[in-house]
Amino acid sequence: MDGVLMFSNELAAAVERAGRAVVGVNARPRLGSTGVHWRSGLIVTADHAVQVDDDVTVTCPDGRVVTATVAGRDPAIDVAILKLNAPEVAVADVADSDAIRVGHIVMALGHGPRASWGIVSAMGEGGGARSAAGPLFHLDLTLYPGFSGGPLVDVQGRVVGMNTSGPGRHLHVALPAAAVNRVVDEFLRRGRIPRAHLGVATQPVRLPEELRRGLDRDQPTAVIVVDVQPESPAARAGLLIGDIIVSLGGTPITGPTDLKTVLRPDRVGETLTASVLRGGQARELLVIVGERPRRSDAR
Amino acid sequence: MIDLADIAQRLRRVTVEVTDAGQALGCGVLWPPGWIVTNAHVVRRPHQSVRLVDGRRLDGALVARDAEADLALLRLAGAGMPTAPVAGPDSARVGALVVAIGHPLGVRGAVTAGIIHAIAPMVPGGPACILADMRLAPGNSGGPLADAAGRVLGLNAMVVGRLALAIPMTRVRSFVRAAGVEGV
Repeated sequence: MDGVLMFSNELAAAVERAGRAVVGVNARPRLGSTGVHWRSGLIVTADHAVQVDDDVTVTCPDGRVVTATVAGRDPAIDVAILKLNAPEVAVADVADSDAIRVGHIVMALGHGPRASWGIVSAMGEGGGARSAAGPLFHLDLTLYPGFSGGPLVDVQGRVVGMNTSGPGRHLHVALPAAAVNRVVDEFLRRGRIPRAHLGVATQPVRLPEELRRGLDRDQPTAVIVVDVQPESPAARAGLLIGDIIVSLGGTPITGPTDLKTVLRPDRVGETLTASVLRGGQARELLVIVGERPRRSDAR
Repeated sequence: MIDLADIAQRLRRVTVEVTDAGQALGCGVLWPPGWIVTNAHVVRRPHQSVRLVDGRRLDGALVARDAEADLALLRLAGAGMPTAPVAGPDSARVGALVVAIGHPLGVRGAVTAGIIHAIAPMVPGGPACILADMRLAPGNSGGPLADAAGRVLGLNAMVVGRLALAIPMTRVRSFVRAAGVEGV
């Protein structure tokens, strides 16, 4: 058989294979979204498309509609986890997303199945893409309406990411499977997705040249603490309003989104070193990452 | 080994340009032998000028037109024309590579590649269409959407958002049969 036809058949087979683990998620008015049966009994989808907490249903590949429950959310990286009792729906073949390189051919799938194809055009942040999950796949392909939360698959139909255009709708990005795995693992370990929390409000600030030299750092910006919640991890660590956080846990903090990148769910309970500038003097504080109180725990 | 360029070249031979007063209106596909199938919205007159890839201009006589189905059948005056190979029914698969030939925005014989996005009706309960994840433009209308073996799956009929919509050949075949053409 000739090469083009063989490649075409492989793409179609990849869609068919991956499609067995792709479900429709009905959790917002009008336009549904897509989910992936990531681990047995757990559907991963885009958090922004799950606009209700109750009465969520999932359309299985065979067309059956079953009830699902929202089990966890991580809005910072746009992942929601739904619990589903549908043992006949195949579990996705999740591949090592670190093997994906710029230029690789990938497909985005929606429930149906529906498919679009293209290449990974870049990796990393930028273009307004959310960065709390770390580097994202920027895609040269069309994420059609309803594709949010669906799988990004390689030419063999293995899942390498979760597609999310975000609420903005004009970004075509995917969260690498490794980042989704971290959230799912954390969920399985704790039974929920904890939200890491410091208890500070920050704003970006420019680091003057002389300060940078004194710190031996080349980052042009950092964040300044404008509020510290009482009794919070930040308060316990001794952070004060006016402190400039230049790094946390060894990661340079050039803006508020860098804080989100560091404060992943699996960091809850970890002790991190915060490098701060106070009155022009560098000092290090130890912060124990807390968990954001859940709504039901409040008061 | 056959590559996309070969497939495109073979498809160009069975794709015609439907013109009116020298202006390109769209495309048509040489199928079945001696006939051209195209979109109803491409055809304006009872006799339509048709240009083959080799530059020959022939007369296409309008024999049947269904505006709702957006299909038209022209009888071709002339002989020695090739005929498009047609894919079997139900051979379209989501994810499979597809190739379109047309004259988008006046670019003659342009090839576009993509994949099948979905096979679904445009309206609930309507007939199934082939939706392709590829960028088509005015001038692709009536042209072929073919599989990776160069077999015609459907006629490109319109652009819906960023998707290309093609009428499957099974529907085109029924239309041609209903028009009284035998042996299709």
